Parts: sequence; structure tokens; C-alpha cells
Amino acid sequence: MESLADTTWDVIIAGTGLSQSLLALALSRSGKKVLHLDQNPHYGGPDAAFSLEEAQEWVTSVNQHPGRSPFEDAKIFTYQHPPESPRSPPSQNDSEGSERMPGTPDIRPKLAASRAYTLSLSPYFLYTRSALISILISSKVYRQLEFVALGSWWIHTCTPAPESEELGATNIFHRVPGNREDVFADTHISMKSKRTLMRFLRHISKSEDENGGDTAEELSAPFGEYLSTKFSVPGDLLHALHSLSLSQQSTQDTPAEYAVPRVQRHLSSIGSMGPGFGGVVSKYGGASEILQVACRACAVGGGAVALAIGIQSLKDIETTTEKEEYPVQLELTSGESVRSKFVIGSHWDLPGQEQSPPTSQVARSITVVSSSFMSLFPITTEGAPLPASTVLMFPGDTLSHPQSPPVYLQIHSSDTGDCPRQQSVIYGSVALPGSEGHTLLECAVDRLLHAEGPQAMVLWSMRYTQSGRLRNDGSSATIHKHSPHVFSFPSSSLDLTWEDEVVDMVKQAWTKIVGDEVDHDDFMIFDDREGTSDD
Amino acid sequence: MSESAGANAPKPSSSVKLVLLGEAAVGKVQLSSQVSRGLVADELSFYLQSSLVLRFVNDDFQENKEPTIGAAFLTQKCSLPTRTIKFEIWDTAGQERFASLAPMYYRNAQAALVVYDVTKPSSLTKAKHWVAELQRQASPGIVIALVGNKLDLTNDGGDTSAATATESESEPVRDDGEEGAAEEGEEQDTTPGDARKVSTREASSYADEEGLLFFETSAKTGTNVVDVFTAIANAIPESSLKTGRGGAGTGQTALGGRSAEDSRVNLGDRSAATAKEGCAC
Repeated sequence: MESLADTTWDVIIAGTGLSQSLLALALSRSGKKVLHLDQNPHYGGPDAAFSLEEAQEWVTSVNQHPGRSPFEDAKIFTYQHPPESPRSPPSQNDSEGSERMPGTPDIRPKLAASRAYTLSLSPYFLYTRSALISILISSKVYRQLEFVALGSWWIHTCTPAPESEELGATNIFHRVPGNREDVFADTHISMKSKRTLMRFLRHISKSEDENGGDTAEELSAPFGEYLSTKFSVPGDLLHALHSLSLSQQSTQDTPAEYAVPRVQRHLSSIGSMGPGFGGVVSKYGGASEILQVACRACAVGGGAVALAIGIQSLKDIETTTEKEEYPVQLELTSGESVRSKFVIGSHWDLPGQEQSPPTSQVARSITVVSSSFMSLFPITTEGAPLPASTVLMFPGDTLSHPQSPPVYLQIHSSDTGDCPRQQSVIYGSVALPGSEGHTLLECAVDRLLHAEGPQAMVLWSMRYTQSGRLRNDGSSATIHKHSPHVFSFPSSSLDLTWEDEVVDMVKQAWTKIVGDEVDHDDFMIFDDREGTSDD
Repeated sequence: MSESAGANAPKPSSSVKLVLLGEAAVGKVQLSSQVSRGLVADELSFYLQSSLVLRFVNDDFQENKEPTIGAAFLTQKCSLPTRTIKFEIWDTAGQERFASLAPMYYRNAQAALVVYDVTKPSSLTKAKHWVAELQRQASPGIVIALVGNKLDLTNDGGDTSAATATESESEPVRDDGEEGAAEEGEEQDTTPGDARKVSTREASSYADEEGLLFFETSAKTGTNVVDVFTAIANAIPESSLKTGRGGAGTGQTALGGRSAEDSRVNLGDRSAATAKEGCAC
């Protein structure tokens, strides 16, 4: 390994989460000397994706170093499935895989090799109108990425239709209509409900001007109350509309001013990139793949990237009387000393810098399952791509916890590259930390698997609690200035979709670093590099 | 190398992702140009390799020219009798220096070029490290070529001799550095005035053990450069070519008529799609 000692840098970026990696991408053609560090031996920080073996190492590391990352309480469960009992209780185990019964050919579904999986700690998807997608296109890095389409939203219901002909899991899930055609075609919704739903959809797809100034005061009410008083939306549709907002609070705790723009975003995204879908997922671990491509772009531009090296301590020595060219002095965990004009990282990467702590916590789970849940991935619009991911929402009352926030499960098919064929990865999230949240997540996954049938078995699962920000918890999505040359990104969003505010923060940071040397309108707009555009 | 002349009928074309790995060994000129650009000293392994790639891509070798760095990947077509292979050649971008080569670098790579310097024994040690790393990280079916470069600095690389016949078009200068050298490996080590420090036999027997393609090349004279890429193109199994980048190496087969291709979304098409589609509500 080479030495970083006694060198000076224009900017040191600490951490390889997506925010920092996008900043590295933004600086990749700036001519700045960039050092990009991560204290972890892997890329991505809170946005990392792992093979099974790497997940095991990560769990060990999280539990050994509490307070060093936004994660805690991480556990991996492996499962044994004797042929006679499809679903046996999990055993917490350090080794992966289940044991083979001696002498009999093993036809039970089983885990593939560790590297056949790319399991994402923060599996958010991108709406097709996301500012991040614009950046990936304008910076040309999208050429190194593959995206698959996000499909339908589903609501868990406790009352399956008695003579239901639905297949598999759709028995206990209702598809959420995503547009007017869907509403008309829906067989679960009464005519009266359809009319009120249409009225609401028409209302929110109008521009603000058309609505006049009367929306402001109503939006302070809870989303559920807003829907029922203003549009007489019946109870059975509240959850459906709530799910489109991806709010992790219950319908009563979600203000309309939070939910309405998010439902608008959902509806206006559908069809904007192609028929029948409104969101995309980056293949091979979602954000993890995007950030690796961004880090590579910075390296291609001459930046240095070093993993397993963090910041031990730093200080900004510039005083009002004396100008320093490289005012930030840093001691790295490798024992080396370096200096830089600017340092920017996340809370977890900048020791000794005062920070407001993360404001929210969610329980999360990753479950590898031996089923492809075909019925949950219908192509609903002619010419639409085959969905590779779908969103399931379990209102608290359907899990016998009326007061609890909803549970969201996002199923990734093997087309996402996260797992082998005929398996799926279920990413679960609920805004209820610790064992309470994990119990709800487990309950939701169990319901899904029972509905799908006996062939759907859990092969592997992992649980953890993550700290960060939820959009409506009062935290702000802005860069924090610790000293004239040291900045930090706030803790990661716990949202299920990419938070576009991050793009603004990356641009803020980039602007501070490049100053007035470049036109700020050129942010992330790059020509193809020589040799790459030959298609 | 440009596309073969006389390829009138369209042949099936496949993309192949090829990754470059090798020891960080840099010419002085290149090093100093890097330092003046403000980068860390001991720049990139890529430079040793890049001269090879530039010879392949541009049929060009300029000793004093700063190599092209700064491409996510270079592309070059290679024409086989039955199909055209479009190589996407990825370099490490220096990320290997601090153990930070990303998993996405290896992801779906169908071929790898591991380069060492025949005048530096330590570079073969490093190459063996990279072969082990590829076997650990890359797709199980990856085609790996071990390439000893700087053949022009050895006695057997200095003068030209009969060219080996290949399907690709002829090169202006070509040595039979591979087969000829393989039989005489022993003597070469002791020839006076020869900068060679790694015998052909040592490297080729290692390549045999690990199931690697093996060549000795000179990026400077062009010796064997095209042959390396042609051999790689020929060694990639037909099945992995059909599935293209997405399916290769994941060990996946399309079942039930649902293939990964169906679900892919092309971000580059967005402007067109937006114009046609608009909002669904």
C-alpha cells in the first residue's frame, strides 16, 4: 500500500456514502486534488451492499463498534428446512447455509454462493423524475449502470375474498391503483369510492395555480382527516393513498402537507420515463452501485480513493490574522498526517466535530426467500417493462397493532441482480426501533410467505436498527459548517425513496469547494470522456 | 486495430467487458507528468497496461506521451470470422493503490488482462496476486490472460521474425514472442545484454496451472498485442456472449420466459420517452 503522508489536498471527502460519492463525482473534472477516504473496508457507508459473507463481517463490526455507524442491534439468522416442515424456527448462526440431510438428494431450496447476493442496507428506489437521475444522465455515468423498473404498490388486507381466484400472495394484497385506468379496472373498489378517488386524483394532479390559495390551511391536518373531510375518501382507500406517500408514520401522524406532494410526485412520475412505471432501481445493490460508479469517476479524474482509512482527528488552524493555504490538519487512522483546504464528511466520519444527533430510528430487515412472487409483479400497462421490484404496505391495524406505523416491504426480484433466479430479497422497514419493530417486520414477512404458499421459505435474514432522518421529523437537510473549511452532510435519510434534497446539499458543498472558478450552472454536466461514446 | 476489412455482411456483435490489472510500474516520463498534474507519486498501474491497450485501440505507442487516462472505459472492436466482439476495456483508475477497487469493477467482467513486466520479477508476483483476486471476486467463467509486456527490451523481442498466422489482419511488425520463446525459455535468462528477468517458462507454466491464456508482448513494437485480444475474444464461451453483460457471470439462466432483458430501463432514452408519454393522470 502506498503512503498518503505529507501530501496536501484541495479537498478530503470522508465516507463513501452516496452523498459524499456524488460530491466526488461532481469534483471529478474540477482539476482539484481529491482524497476520498472511508474508515470501512468497503464502499458505501450507510448505503453499502453486501454479499452474505460481507454481511456477516459487517454485523460483527457493527456490534463491536457501537456508535461508529448509524447502525446497531444487527443480527443474522440462518434457517434449516427439513423436508417435512417447510418453515422451521430460525437459529442464530455464525455460519451460512443449512445442513444437508445425509444420504438423501437435497431438493430443498437453498442459499446460493455468498457472492450471488448483493444485499443493500439502504434499498431506496428512484422516482423517474428524480434530480439524481438527471445528474446520472448529465454526468454520463449512467452508461455504467443498469436500471430496472419498479412495479405496483400493494396494500395488505386482513380479509381475503372468500371465493378469491387470486394466485399466491395477491390473495391478501390489493393492488393500489396508480392512475385513472387502474381505478376503473379495479375490482376491489366500489363505484362510489371510485368517484371520490377520481375527484382526489384530479385535484392533486392540478397545478397549484388552478387550486388557488385555499390549500395552505387544510394541509396542516393529518392526511387521513384531509382525505375524509375534503374528499370523503372512504376508509378502505385511506391506506392505499397513504402508501403512495411512503410515509413511515401512521395515517393520523402524517400531515397532509407531507403526504400530498409525495402522492403528487408518485402519480406524475408514472409514465414519465416509459409506459407503466414511475420508479427505477439500480441493479446490484441499488445506491451501492451508483456510488461505486461515482467514486470510480472521481478516480478516473485523478482523485485518490482509500478504503479502511478514516480520520482520527482534525483541526482547522486558520485564524483571522493568518491565512493558511491548507488550513485543515488531519491525523488519519493509518497514522499518517495530511493537510487539506477543505474537509467534508458525514457525522460518522468526522470525529470530534459537534453534531446534532440523528432524529429518527427505523427497524430494518433483509430476507432472502425461495420464491419469485410472480403474482406481485404483473405488467399492468402495454409496453411496460417487467417490474423487478414492488412495494407492499401493511397498515398497523392489519398486523394487530392499530397504533403502530405501517410496515413497508420492498420485494426485489432476481432481475435486480440482488439474488439468484427463483429467489427474492425482501427489504423491510418500519419506523419503530428495536425488538418491537423487528417483531412487526417478521410478522409482515410471515404473512406474505404464508399467502404465497409452502414453497416460499426464508433462507437467510438479517435485522438491524438504523438512525437517521425522516423528512417530517423536524430535521433539516442542509450542510453543516463546523469551521470555515470543515463541513458535514446530515445523517442519511431513512426514506424508502431517494431524497432529492441530497442533490442540493451536494451542490452546496461543491459550490463551497470550487468557489467562483466555474459556472455553477455546469454542476454535474460533463461531456463523454474520450473513447466511451462509441455505441 | 481497426475493424477487419471485407466485413461486408453484418456479423453478430457482442460486447465484452474486459478489466485490466497489473503492477504499478511507471516510466519516468509518465511519472513526472503525473506529479506535475498534482497527483500522488507512483501513479498508476494503468500506465504499464494502458500502453498495451492504446496499441490495441489506436495502434499507437508514444513513449513520451501522457497516456490516456480519464476514460471510464475504452472501446475497441475485434473482428472474428463469425462475429464482432466489442471490447469495453476498463482500467483500475488507480483505485487498487489503496485497496479500493470496487466490486462494480469486477462485476460482469467476461475477460481480464493481467499485465506484468518481463524485466521485473516482482511484477509477476503482483500479477499472481491479481489472478488470485480475480478468482475470488470476478465471475466464475471469466477469461484471464496473463501478459508479459516490454518484450522489446529482451533479446527475443528486439528483432522481427515470422508472424504467427491469425484470423485478424496483419500487423506491420509481429514477433513470434510466444511460441518460439516458450521452448527456449531457459537460455534467455543468461543472454548478455538482455533485460529479461522473468523467463517465459516460469510465467507460462504458472499460466498453465491456473488455466490462463499467456502471451508476451511489446506495446512499443506491437508484438502480439492484437493476438492477445483475438485469443481472448475466441476464448469467451458463446453462451456468455449471447446473454451479454447483464447475464454473464451471474450464473443465471432465463427461466419461464422472463429474462433480465425485459425489465431493463434505459435512462438514455428518457428524453424520447418523456415526449411520448407524459403524465398518466
